[in-house]
Amino acid sequence: MNIWLAAAIAVGACLFPCADLCMRGSAERRLVGLELSSILATILLVLLTVGFHRLPFIDLPLAMAIMSLGGSLVFARFLERHL
Amino acid sequence: MHRDWIIAMLAVVVIGCWAGTLGAWKMREPTQSLHYLSLPTTLGAIFLAVAVLLETGWTSTTAKTFVICLVLIGTNSVGTHATARAIRVRQLGHWEPRKEDGVEFIPSKKEK
Repeated sequence: MNIWLAAAIAVGACLFPCADLCMRGSAERRLVGLELSSILATILLVLLTVGFHRLPFIDLPLAMAIMSLGGSLVFARFLERHL
Repeated sequence: MHRDWIIAMLAVVVIGCWAGTLGAWKMREPTQSLHYLSLPTTLGAIFLAVAVLLETGWTSTTAKTFVICLVLIGTNSVGTHATARAIRVRQLGHWEPRKEDGVEFIPSKKEK
C-alpha cells in the first residue's frame, strides 16, 4: 500500500454517494450523478495507474476523459427532448 | 521533502473530490448540484497532474496527465452547460429567456 493507492481508495469511496445520486431522484439529478462519477473515475484511474506503477495504462483515463463528454452530451440531449 | 509535497497534493485531490461529491449529493436542485462538478475537475485534476509530475518527473505519463487535466477542465464546462440547458428546456419548454419565466429580464435596446 502506497500513498497513491490510499488516495485511490479515498477517491473511490466518493463513488458511493455518486451511486446514490445516480439511482434515486429525478432524471436531471441522475444525469448530474453520471457526470460527477465519470470525472471521479478518470481521477481514480490516474491514481491507480501511478499507484500500481503501470504507467502505460495512463492511456485509459485519457480515453475516458475524452469519451465521457460524448456520453454526457448524448444523455443531456436525450433528457432535453425525449425523456 | 519531495514525498511530503506529493502527499499534500494528493490530500488536496481527495478533499476536492469529497467536497464536490458531498456538495452535489446534498443539494436539492440539480442545477445547484451542477456547480459542485467544478471542484473535482479543477482542484482534483490540477493537483493530481502536479503530483504525477513530482512523482515521475517529465515523462510521457506526466504529459498525458496534463492533457487529461486540460480535457477535464475543457469538457466539464461544455457538459455542465449542456446539462443546465437540458434541465431548463425540460422544465420550461424553451431555452431563451422570456418575461413570463419570472427571472430578471434585461431587454435589449431594440425591445426598449
